[in-house]
Amino acid sequence: MSRINDVGGMAGFPAIVEEPDEPPFHADWEAHVFALNGALIRRGVYNLDEFRDAIERMPAEEYLAASYYERWFAAITTLLVEKGVAVPEELDLPDERDRPHG
Amino acid sequence: MSDHPSSVISARVRHVEALLESRGLLEDGEIDGRIDEFLAGGSPANGARIAARAWVDPGFAERLLADANGAIRELGFSMAGGLQEQRLKVVANTAEEHNVVVCTLCSCYPIALLGPSPGWYKSEAYRSRVVRDPRGVLREFGLELPERTRISVWDASAESRYMVVPRRPEGTEGLSEEQLAGLVTRKGLIGTAAV
Amino acid sequence: MADLAPGMRVRTRTTDPDGHTRLPRYVRGAVGVLVEEAGRHPLADDRARGRAGAPQPVWHVRFAAADLFGSGAHTVTVELWADYLIPIEEHP
Repeated sequence: MSRINDVGGMAGFPAIVEEPDEPPFHADWEAHVFALNGALIRRGVYNLDEFRDAIERMPAEEYLAASYYERWFAAITTLLVEKGVAVPEELDLPDERDRPHG
Repeated sequence: MSDHPSSVISARVRHVEALLESRGLLEDGEIDGRIDEFLAGGSPANGARIAARAWVDPGFAERLLADANGAIRELGFSMAGGLQEQRLKVVANTAEEHNVVVCTLCSCYPIALLGPSPGWYKSEAYRSRVVRDPRGVLREFGLELPERTRISVWDASAESRYMVVPRRPEGTEGLSEEQLAGLVTRKGLIGTAAV
Repeated sequence: MADLAPGMRVRTRTTDPDGHTRLPRYVRGAVGVLVEEAGRHPLADDRARGRAGAPQPVWHVRFAAADLFGSGAHTVTVELWADYLIPIEEHP
């Protein structure tokens, strides 16, 4: 079924906003997420299509609420679990571990 | 998601990196190296040099439109700086036709050549509307095209990456190639500005 | 499958697959014209499902906006794998 990323021709999104003198990344963690994804693809942990698929599978509300690199990080953690690299609890910060996983 | 303060997601990213290092999936310093490499890589200035050469050298322009990967190698550029070498498709604006590029499904862009794409290019607002109402979107960017100009939108939905060669502005006959390159903007190379 | 060639009219598949695809919904079932081959690659749908797949031609396919949206004088050129395309039989 069509997914939330497939927006060509859709109505209802806000006006286009340009950011003057936009930096390549808005925070250090964004650069890290970008580099982390490239490293994992080069290592063959997953491929680029699986990565896109993992972004597209995000629940629509979460996708729309997330920033660009938040989506990337969500996809990376999804794939690390699905590929058996880590169990979900290991990806949480120590003080987040008592939270339920949804 | 975005209700996390930046410090929380920052800590989570560091935590995952440390975990992957402990599992042997990341080397120490690898991430910083990749970031430095990326930031030193592509830039809109590369596209501007290519466009300026196409303006002054019709033979180059012809080769660029027929086989962009081959033509940009003549200037020392390549599309091999990312995960794999990608095919570059270059289209040129004329008095009759204006080209504009989008990726409606995600955010495909010639990063290896032009560096990171602007935030608006990745936004749902741009991706959803430019295929449906390009003239309206271009007007929002301050680009009012004559009614007779045909608009071609290119959706980067597969493996190629796209770049637009803007029209050479009038009255620039006396400028050097370097000065011409200085006129070309990132938006011009995507098609949301005249130059 | 008939050999695809520039100028050929094609209709895109109407299937709405479960999972990843690179056939955008706004061009599904629409008629367009093949412009130029854009290389050969395994189908993205297969790669996203962990299947290798043989490389197949990918095409720039041009659609009239009016055929996609019912209005608009522009064209949209979308890059589509051969698997997404059904050649339209021409009856002279």
